[in-house]
Amino acid sequence: MEELDLLKKAWQKDSYSYEQVSEMEIYKMLHKKSSSIVKWILIISIIEVLFWAVISIYFKVDEYLKNLNAENLSMYFQVLNVVNYVVILWFIYNFYKNYIKISTIASTNQLMHDILKTRKTVKYYVWYNLLMALLSMIAAFVMEFEFNPRMQIVKNQIANENNYQTLFVTVGIILLSIIVFIGLVWLFYRLLYGILLRKLYINYKELKKIDL
Amino acid sequence: MSDNLEQLFVKQLKDNQNIIHKICRLYTNDEDAHKDLFQEITIQLWKAFPKFRGDSKFSTWAYRVALNTAITLYRKSTRTVATTSFEAQKHFISQEEYNFEEEEKIKLMYQAVQQLNDIEKALVFLYLEDKDYTEISETLGISEVNARVKMNRIKGKLKKILNP
Repeated sequence: MEELDLLKKAWQKDSYSYEQVSEMEIYKMLHKKSSSIVKWILIISIIEVLFWAVISIYFKVDEYLKNLNAENLSMYFQVLNVVNYVVILWFIYNFYKNYIKISTIASTNQLMHDILKTRKTVKYYVWYNLLMALLSMIAAFVMEFEFNPRMQIVKNQIANENNYQTLFVTVGIILLSIIVFIGLVWLFYRLLYGILLRKLYINYKELKKIDL
Repeated sequence: MSDNLEQLFVKQLKDNQNIIHKICRLYTNDEDAHKDLFQEITIQLWKAFPKFRGDSKFSTWAYRVALNTAITLYRKSTRTVATTSFEAQKHFISQEEYNFEEEEKIKLMYQAVQQLNDIEKALVFLYLEDKDYTEISETLGISEVNARVKMNRIKGKLKKILNP
């Protein structure tokens, strides 16, 4: 292709003049902060881990059970807590392992793959937390129903009705609140990572297409 | 990191800065964005510098980090809308051997290249730098055969852009 070779010739002669950056300016640049997506993923991930950790610390199951007079269930929750911490630590370890593997001297394909893998670890972490939140919500609803004396009115009403209207309304409210909660979190993540990783996904797909 | 290393890096970068300018020019469309990307590439090069062993040329090593930064790490969209104002003031051919017709052809070709997507630009960049397909395929992490096939397709695409 004649024109491309013309460009190549001109390109290599380097006669195109760029405004040269001085040594002083380069020194200054070295001490500026990077705004790469890898850094953003790290920051967001740390916030995520802290957020869910704080939530699980502040959610005091013991007191809740005491209020409901269901302290005999405490044992189960302690086991669950330990399991939960082990899983979270495992996630953090994996995230760290994937994160330090990211290197700009790898090939473009490898680099993109490593970034997306790191991001995936966080994604699974969030899904795990959402699942736990979902199970806790269901457990809380069931326990409220089972142990909270105030629920007796509702229970009586359900028992007295033949068309189960109250039962349907109760279950409906529970389901709706769960869907809204999960939906909001999902939307938040779609927006957050959608904006952050849009370009990366486009380029990764493009690169993958070449090797099909 | 030691001052010595920093000095060495700054000197090498200063001497090889045109590589980075070329990438910035290819992936951005105004001067602010150019400077911004230049800075990000500089930071990434500096971070990776301890791993640079000097068994390859600084420039060869810098290609990879600079391209990776432009395509992957740089957060802002680098897609270029073909603008002529930024390009118009500059020339590809030096004044001694200036040839209007040739200069126009080169400019049109360059504008066509700017309409390619990020990955295609990377291939063209390496091609313009006279890298062989082994190096192109290693830099991008694709197979050599596919790099060749893709480059031929890009040439076809450029032809179409130039003669719609």
